[in-house]
Amino acid sequence: MQLYDLITRLSAATAPSGFEESVFARVQELLAPYVDEIASDALGNLLAVKRCGVPDAEQLMLEAHMDEIGLIITGFEAGFLRFAKIGGVDPRVLPAQRLRILTNPPIFGVIEALPPHIQETGEEDEAVSADKLFVDVGLSEQAAKAKIPLGTAAVFDEAPELLAGERLLGKALDNRACVAILIKAMEELAEKELAVNVSLLISTQEELGYRGAQTGAFALRPDRALVLDVTHAATPDSKKGETVKLAAGAAVGVGPNLSREISGKLLELARKKEIPVQTEVLPGSSGTDAWVIQVSRTGVPTGLISLPLRYMHTPSELVSLKDAECCVRLVTEFVLAAGREAQNA
Amino acid sequence: MLDTTKTLCLLSGVSGFEDEVRDYILERVLPYADELETDSLGNLIVHKKGKVPGDKRVAFFAHMDEVGVIITGADDDGFLRFDFIGGVDRRVAIGKRVCLGFARVPGVIGIKAHHLVSREEEKKIPSLSAMYIDVGAPDRKSALELVCLGDVGVFSDQVTEFGEGFLAAKALDDRIGCAALIKLIESELPLDCDFVFTAQEEVGARGAKVASARLNPDVAIIIESTTAADLPEVPEGKTVCRLGEGLVLPYMDKGAMYSRELYSALTALCDANNIKWQTKGLIAGGTDAQVIQRSGAGVATAAISAPVRSLHAPISVAKIEDFETIPRLAMLFLESLVNETPPSFHATPPSFRA
Repeated sequence: MQLYDLITRLSAATAPSGFEESVFARVQELLAPYVDEIASDALGNLLAVKRCGVPDAEQLMLEAHMDEIGLIITGFEAGFLRFAKIGGVDPRVLPAQRLRILTNPPIFGVIEALPPHIQETGEEDEAVSADKLFVDVGLSEQAAKAKIPLGTAAVFDEAPELLAGERLLGKALDNRACVAILIKAMEELAEKELAVNVSLLISTQEELGYRGAQTGAFALRPDRALVLDVTHAATPDSKKGETVKLAAGAAVGVGPNLSREISGKLLELARKKEIPVQTEVLPGSSGTDAWVIQVSRTGVPTGLISLPLRYMHTPSELVSLKDAECCVRLVTEFVLAAGREAQNA
Repeated sequence: MLDTTKTLCLLSGVSGFEDEVRDYILERVLPYADELETDSLGNLIVHKKGKVPGDKRVAFFAHMDEVGVIITGADDDGFLRFDFIGGVDRRVAIGKRVCLGFARVPGVIGIKAHHLVSREEEKKIPSLSAMYIDVGAPDRKSALELVCLGDVGVFSDQVTEFGEGFLAAKALDDRIGCAALIKLIESELPLDCDFVFTAQEEVGARGAKVASARLNPDVAIIIESTTAADLPEVPEGKTVCRLGEGLVLPYMDKGAMYSRELYSALTALCDANNIKWQTKGLIAGGTDAQVIQRSGAGVATAAISAPVRSLHAPISVAKIEDFETIPRLAMLFLESLVNETPPSFHATPPSFRA
């Protein structure tokens, strides 16, 4: 399947942290042809294995989280719904936003905006805090209570849209684009002879603090891990030092959270195979599942490939499809090279 | 009328660029109109004969234009600078999708990731000069190949019916009014009427000014959308009007003191015919009435409005039953002009001529 199709299909899944069942099913279906086994665990992680047949081969774990940020319904007020955030959502993107409320079947809702006439002058410079915002589902309070139990999750209701320059706009590209990259890489590797057992951890609840990765990595017990997540690409309102460049290739993380050997190997492979990459320096936590995987059990050497992305955690995240292709190539080359380092040396 | 409203909301018609909306309406009303004209501002004026000519010249007004953005520049990295056309609160624009120009180039009003936002920054809305649109262009040159300076854009276009008879869409203000006028034009009228689909209401009722000067009506009825703030956290005195409480008959807003005779006549007609109506609980907003009423020697003016939440936002919300009764009330009013002693709209002006 084309990478674009994989990304858009996965972006359409509605699965905030803790509610990943629907995206689990979709990933399972897309990944199944390329792995030997797929399993789940108590936190809802998807664990998969592709064996290479070599006795005592190393286990290399490829990892990406599948949850997205969202909202959760916490109360009712005159037919409108109160909500709390799941993960880091900027309240400034919420007014006049369409939502899909994850009942069965889903219900459409709109976060109503307070009209300007009821505000004091100058208040349009002040953001409306999330506790002053409400979801309109067009229902009486009685009907809303009957249809929408407390604790129902909701996600932004936005379809993917292709922009100029092979750039893709959509919700939940953090981190469905990286899940798609891993599925595409496994497709590329399907017929290849490997020297390592490849395991996949498609994790849950990353947006709430790497929760799925903690138990998933424990269960799989990998020898090494390669994490894929998104990172901030430059925008006019961001500072230079805190971002990478969009459409300048995959970002390879370097820093204490990551194995120097793996980071070095990734950069070396990129140079040899002429894959566009950029180095992303991470002085502390990478802010990804790599943070907990590195210290799983007795420690796991971990690498990180990041896909540059603008407008993270908004209803319209933006990635470059060319960057995503670079990530696929880099993952594929890394897996092909893994386990052969000794014989090549 | 619902289907027409939905179709109209999907069209682009930022003030001064109402072409798409006007073309659609023109096609719809052509079989029913006796005479059609457009003017230099882009108003569409439709004349339709009724059973009798009538004593008064009656004109209905609804505006075709909507709020939007206009492209004012591009930077080296391909991000577009813009300004708003009409009153758009920056707080509803952040992170929203737009489509630009006649080619409908998709883009988004960007904001940096929440991770990079300080607690102080989170409480502030960026100034317009710090806002930008991303169309995916890698540099200035590619950006200006996609859009030109002066191209306008609308918020992304979806229409959704939801809940118990609600409608969510951009531009409900005032495509609801346009749909009501189309419905009237398609009907058999008791007397001759003019229908004006106005341009540039959102930038100061510019179209209505010249259209009313051209028509010089005795009676003007404006079909509009008005702000409803019936939300939690809004004190009772500031809700203005409520969804589900019927159409809105204003007695006064920021732009006009409506004709008391017409207001009484319309409210009486609603009461006599079981049409749910409400009035505004706060003097807020304005309509084309602000110029029509003061056109020529003055025009007796009333408004019939649909209550709409999140007016001027990328997505606003109306209750269908609130606005579906508007054409019926308009028709009852026209019948009353023919069949009953019409209300006296204004005293006969004194004549200074011999």
